[in-house]
Amino acid sequence: MLHLLKIDLKKLTSYRTFWIVCGLYFLTLGFGAASGMEFLKWLVSTFESFGQELNIARIPLYHFPDVWMNLIWFSGLLKIVLAIMVVISITNEYTYRTLRQNVIDGLSRSEFLTSKILTNILLSLMSVAMIFVIGLVTGLIYSPYVTIDRITTDLEFFPAYFLEIFFFLSYALMLGILIQRSGLTIILLLLSQMIESIITANIDDYVPWLIPFFPMKSVWNLITFPLPRYAFQEIQDYVAIGSILIVIGWTFLFNYFSFLKLKHSDI
Amino acid sequence: METVLSITNLTKRFNRLTAVDKLNLEVKAGQVFGLLGPNGSGKTTTLGMLMSVINPTAGSYSWFGEVPSHHIRKKIGAVLEHPIFYPYLSGQKNLELNAMIKQCPPDNIANVLDLVELTDRRDDKYKTYSLGMKQRLAIASALLNNPTVLILDEPTNGLDPMGIAEIRELTKKIAAIGKTIILASHLLDEVQKVCTHFAILRKGNLIHCGPVEQVNAGSETIEVRADNGGLSELLLKFGGTSAVARDNGFYNVTLKESFHGKDLNRFLFENGVVADHLVTKRKSLEKMFLEILSETN
Repeated sequence: MLHLLKIDLKKLTSYRTFWIVCGLYFLTLGFGAASGMEFLKWLVSTFESFGQELNIARIPLYHFPDVWMNLIWFSGLLKIVLAIMVVISITNEYTYRTLRQNVIDGLSRSEFLTSKILTNILLSLMSVAMIFVIGLVTGLIYSPYVTIDRITTDLEFFPAYFLEIFFFLSYALMLGILIQRSGLTIILLLLSQMIESIITANIDDYVPWLIPFFPMKSVWNLITFPLPRYAFQEIQDYVAIGSILIVIGWTFLFNYFSFLKLKHSDI
Repeated sequence: METVLSITNLTKRFNRLTAVDKLNLEVKAGQVFGLLGPNGSGKTTTLGMLMSVINPTAGSYSWFGEVPSHHIRKKIGAVLEHPIFYPYLSGQKNLELNAMIKQCPPDNIANVLDLVELTDRRDDKYKTYSLGMKQRLAIASALLNNPTVLILDEPTNGLDPMGIAEIRELTKKIAAIGKTIILASHLLDEVQKVCTHFAILRKGNLIHCGPVEQVNAGSETIEVRADNGGLSELLLKFGGTSAVARDNGFYNVTLKESFHGKDLNRFLFENGVVADHLVTKRKSLEKMFLEILSETN
């Protein structure tokens, strides 16, 4: 297994685009996650210019345990960048025809797919680690009370975050394998959410129970938008088992479709 | 001799087009096997199926008597159609990657780079290589795992005469160390120069298969020239002559079976004529290829 991961990393680590895209992703992730406080300050000054007062202390963005869910939800928005990298990585194998040569050289098709999936897992884990460290540091800086209890509350969002990223990278990998051309794949990837929204909006009146099973919707349900809680609204501050199962189901299907397509096509 | 490759009724259909039709073929250890055919005759499709990148519609094949698997492919070095590498990686790194895929130690990289004379350029990106260098790197990559079988598909395609000669020498060098080589080509001259056996494909059908020596079997043709006025009459007088034709200042004498060039030479000498040019002409594979193709039309 490790051998296959090493093969894929060998392809990527000398590829400049990979470093640029991943660098941008992790930089944006890091700075974005750490600059919530600046956003709050801007919010306060805006309120002041309207003659209103806003108490930052009432919006504990970075306090344990709120910090985990807040950071994770906003970081989830950036996964598209990583997904585009995955698309480039897989469609390159088609445009350079190196997939064909890899198989000729003695990699089986499922080994090839496994090497790509392992990279997806690694990228997802790195995102999790990154957000965990940023959350820990900012939490320690801004939380008025730091107790082990508060720090360890809500950590279940991390497995959910991992699942969210891995789900989306699996989706990107599948699209790349099905379409094989980078431009078209990226466009479809960007439009997926919108296409799904159009479909769900139209079937909403007839089969509303079906909507949570749609792939993109299932990810939104996994980790819900956390900010309404600061406006005294109820939010789902836990990870629902049902959503987890649906997302796992889709992730499995995406990778399985990739496998079927790879197995049965001439390359 | 041990059978390296055995193909049984191998068939590939793309929609309505039958690219390879019930192909049966055997390649033995140590052969340099030429796969001939016009463009689009199914050579690359056949090799693609043998390397598992194209799924056969029907039929089967076995390598070394075993059911094909990706483990067996690691023992075969193959270059299909044109060289394929990661353009942004250097030659060295591409070979390192291939060594990882073939699960062989990277120690051999320096050797194969030396063999194809790319050591100087090994750290340059693949995309900066000339076509000849790319072809040579592909051969280096195929040799990386010290394979027992080498598959080369049009290895001299698009090369200049010097490049062609280099690749040909390389192929001979590799054949000399006892490797089995399967060489697909439409360059008949090339096949005749390096191969021991050959097969001809046309529209996916096998229309001929046999040793290259066979091409030279049958009656001989001798090309003669001498500074003697009565040469043509003298040649006709020779008992072994079946026909004489004049071509470009030379006489082409077709001999009857069991007569050879030395018999004609002796006859001329005994009759007081010393030839200043006397060559036994090999029948060219090209001629035979065209004959076979027209016969089956």
